[in-house]
Amino acid sequence: MKVHLRVFVEVENLGKAMNALVEAGITGFYILEYKGMSPQEWEGFSIKEDPKSAVRLIRDHANDAMLICCVVDEEKTDKIVEKVIESMEGEKYTILEVPIKRIIVNYKDKESQRAETWLLEKEVPCFYCGENAVQRIKIDMNKAKIWCTNCGAARYYLVKGIEKGEK
Amino acid sequence: MVVKKWKLEKSANCYNCGDATIHNIKVDQYHIKIRCRDCGFTRYYAFHMVDLPDKTD
Repeated sequence: MKVHLRVFVEVENLGKAMNALVEAGITGFYILEYKGMSPQEWEGFSIKEDPKSAVRLIRDHANDAMLICCVVDEEKTDKIVEKVIESMEGEKYTILEVPIKRIIVNYKDKESQRAETWLLEKEVPCFYCGENAVQRIKIDMNKAKIWCTNCGAARYYLVKGIEKGEK
Repeated sequence: MVVKKWKLEKSANCYNCGDATIHNIKVDQYHIKIRCRDCGFTRYYAFHMVDLPDKTD
């Protein structure tokens, strides 16, 4: 299962949050800029309901904030969230974890979709250095490489054949 | 060099059937086998070479 991790931060903490996410091992993210308001900021006031007033209120009182989104493996989520919490101690932030039911990706170019490179990870003791470290696996259509992120020892594989299976 | 068998999964568009499916990936010391769980299309890879860093200790 994949998780859509959403980290809401104040604009001045964007770099800090991004560094924490990257250190925790995310492979990609996208960012949205938004205006945020908390209900307690207009506590005691009632907002005039005409659109102009509501928009002006947002312009005048809302804070600039950033939303960092990434898609992560469910089992890695806790580690990533802990890292963000540790780095953002004392700052204002909100973290949402949303389960993803499925992912559909469409490519413009059929051929580039077929030749897509896969990247996977597995944390096991390395065959060479023996350390329990992340082993990265890169699979292309015609070759594959597995390497240790600790010592760099790499194994290379070449495609040998294909088999059209039965359903 | 003793390498335990790994069993991994990857959601991707299958090269053969083109659907977004789950692929079973089996890795051992000498082989990698990738099989689409939906259509059964399988790719086999064979060990080619190893590139080892210098051990400092």
